Amino acid sequence: MAVESSHVTGDVIEAMEFPDLAQRYGVRGVPKIVINETTEFVGALPEDQYLEHVRAAVEASSQ
Amino acid sequence: MGLISEPDRETIRNHFEESLEGDVEIVMFTERESPIIIPGKEPCEMCAQTEELLKEVASLSDKVELSVKDISTAKEEAEALGIDRVPAFVLKGAARGRVRFFGIPSGYEFSGFIADLVDVSAGTTDLSEETREYLAALTEDVNIKVFTTPT
Repeated sequence: MAVESSHVTGDVIEAMEFPDLAQRYGVRGVPKIVINETTEFVGALPEDQYLEHVRAAVEASSQ
Repeated sequence: MGLISEPDRETIRNHFEESLEGDVEIVMFTERESPIIIPGKEPCEMCAQTEELLKEVASLSDKVELSVKDISTAKEEAEALGIDRVPAFVLKGAARGRVRFFGIPSGYEFSGFIADLVDVSAGTTDLSEETREYLAALTEDVNIKVFTTPT
C-alpha cells in the first residue's frame, strides 16, 4: 500500500528483535497489523477486508 | 557458504531478472561493533547478519544497490526516514510512500521482502483497482505497522 500512495508509510517489524515494540502494541500473534496506532487486527485478511480496516483507521484519525 | 542457498539464489536471480523494472536502493542503518564495551548498552545482535543477507540479495541484480550507514554517524538521515533503531532499512525506488523494515527479513518474512522490493522497483502493486484508487486519493497520512516473526 505504501507503494501506491505518498501518504502511506509501511513498516515491517520483526517482533522477536524488538520486544519493547511487541509489548507496546500487544503483539501475541503474527502477523499483527496496527494502523495509525488506533486500528488493529491479527492474521492475513482478504484485501477488501484489509482495506476496510485502513478506511476505519483513516476516519478515526480525521475525527 | 552464504545465508541464501545456491538454489534459492538462482531462483531469486531469475525472479529479479524477470520482474525488476527500475533501480532500487536499500538504505540500511546499522551499528558497527565497537571495540569499547559500554556498560548497560546491548550490542546489536542481528545487525551483522542483516547486512550480510542484504548484501547477498543486492548481489543478485544490477538493479539493486545497497548502502549501509552507521546510525551514530548518519543520525540526521536516519531521523529524516523515521529510523530510531537498528538493524533497519528503507527501500528507495519508484514507491510513492515509504517502505521500512525493522529487524532481519528472514524466514517467512523473506519472501515478503523480495515481493516488496519488486513492487518498489515497479512503483505499482497487484492490489485491486478499488484499493489503488482509494490509496491514490488519500489526503492524510497513514502508518501501517506489520509485526512478523521469522517462524
